[in-house]
Amino acid sequence: MIAMFRAVLYSQWKWSRLIVVLGTVAAFAIPLLSLQGAARADRGALRAQELLHAVQAWGALYPLLATALGLLMAIAAWAADHRGRHIHALTLPLERWRYVLLRFGAGFVLLAAPITAVLIGSSLAILTATLPPGLQAYPIALAVRFAFAVLVAYAVFFAVSAGTARTAGIILGVIAAVILVQVVASIANIDLNLFSAAQTVLALGPGPLAVFTGRWMLVDV
Amino acid sequence: MSDAIQIERLHYRAGKTFEIKDLDLHVPAGSIYGFLGPNGSGKTTTIRLILGLLRPLSGRITVLGDPMPEQHARVLARVGYVPEQPHLDATLTVGELIDFQSAFYPRWDQARANELVRSFELDDDQLFGRLSKGQKAKLMILLALSQRGELLLLDEPTDGLDPVVRRDILSALLTYVSERGSTIFISSHLVHELERVCDWVAVMDDGRLILEAPLEKLKQGTKRLVVMDAPAEIINPPFRVLTRESANGGSAGENWVVGDWEPGMTSYFEGVGASVRDVIDLDLEDGFVELLRSFRDVKGGVRR
Repeated sequence: MIAMFRAVLYSQWKWSRLIVVLGTVAAFAIPLLSLQGAARADRGALRAQELLHAVQAWGALYPLLATALGLLMAIAAWAADHRGRHIHALTLPLERWRYVLLRFGAGFVLLAAPITAVLIGSSLAILTATLPPGLQAYPIALAVRFAFAVLVAYAVFFAVSAGTARTAGIILGVIAAVILVQVVASIANIDLNLFSAAQTVLALGPGPLAVFTGRWMLVDV
Repeated sequence: MSDAIQIERLHYRAGKTFEIKDLDLHVPAGSIYGFLGPNGSGKTTTIRLILGLLRPLSGRITVLGDPMPEQHARVLARVGYVPEQPHLDATLTVGELIDFQSAFYPRWDQARANELVRSFELDDDQLFGRLSKGQKAKLMILLALSQRGELLLLDEPTDGLDPVVRRDILSALLTYVSERGSTIFISSHLVHELERVCDWVAVMDDGRLILEAPLEKLKQGTKRLVVMDAPAEIINPPFRVLTRESANGGSAGENWVVGDWEPGMTSYFEGVGASVRDVIDLDLEDGFVELLRSFRDVKGGVRR
């Protein structure tokens, strides 16, 4: 099984190395840029406020990067199999769920690079900056949160990407139906807010997408 | 002799227009089994059913003693497969594809793979997507042979290739069979090609099996007869009449194509007031064409 994993890992690396390299560079750079020109010890409360605003603005990039990485890695994981109509994968001598697990695991191993880059970039940023009094750095918490976000994004897109065109059609159909119902409800003046309900279920804690919401702060009070 | 592949009363339907119905197939272990049929007859579908890529509606498929698709992982470890269309990733090189494949097969024969890379003149560093059609076919054969499978399933492996590449591939297959005694199931519509290598043949058309027989028996038993004074009705002949038609408007008798023919059967005609003027051997291609014509006429309701 180790040999199989190495083979799958190598093929996936070849397909997605550009994504991994660019994602890793971005993940390393964002924390450093977010504290660029930061804080000296002599800064007062107002400066600390400005710093927090800057960190918060840069913080919006982490969930975006996590989503982009998850999406692109998931597409790369299945693109070759889709092109070959899965014939090669399905004729390999292993259970299909094992093959899916190998592909999933290989993608996640490759995503360890940008996750580690966030940790290293954050730690370096903190080491090279001097924070105003009252502010704390959270490089490990940020990296762990980024790791969760990447894992969730990768898992969701991997599942969708693994499916057939029919599965994708069903998902798009459900989304279209929700939008249609919402539009009809609005026209008919019915008090129904499906988007808000979906947001509550999915994006607010403990929803599965809650990790993407809220403030992503390398430095906070 | 046991069967490498056994299919019993298989029923499969794809959409509303195509179905395989009541298919029975027995591929003897150690044979080179030619699976003939025109395009769209169900050859590829049958191979995919054998591999467990498709699920039948009913019936039973046993491959190397194990039921399919239930035991597909176990069976596929002992089966080499070459699909009709190149299915490998175009962005991997020849060497990378060999490495990838070798990781999944515990009985992988790296020495054979290296030898075939040399004899097929493949370049390890060339991308699969940049290979010619012949080189792609050679690589897929290489991968199938290096797995050291007990059964090779080849779906039109030489279709569209030039004669030199076809010969290289068939030669590699025959060498493999002579060394390992494996079974080869090879589908094709290139009848002459199968005639040179196969010892069993099956003919399929429109999802139905028309015939399954040892090649020699088929060749010996399929004849063209020139029959004089042929009766309009034929009652209980000891052979199968595949086609019959007038020669030169009837003045030169009738041309019959028959199956299951044996030399002593000319006496049947004497018993019905006719005579056989000539018995002509048919090659496999002629026999194949006549079989298909006969099957289609019967299906279409043409009475003999």
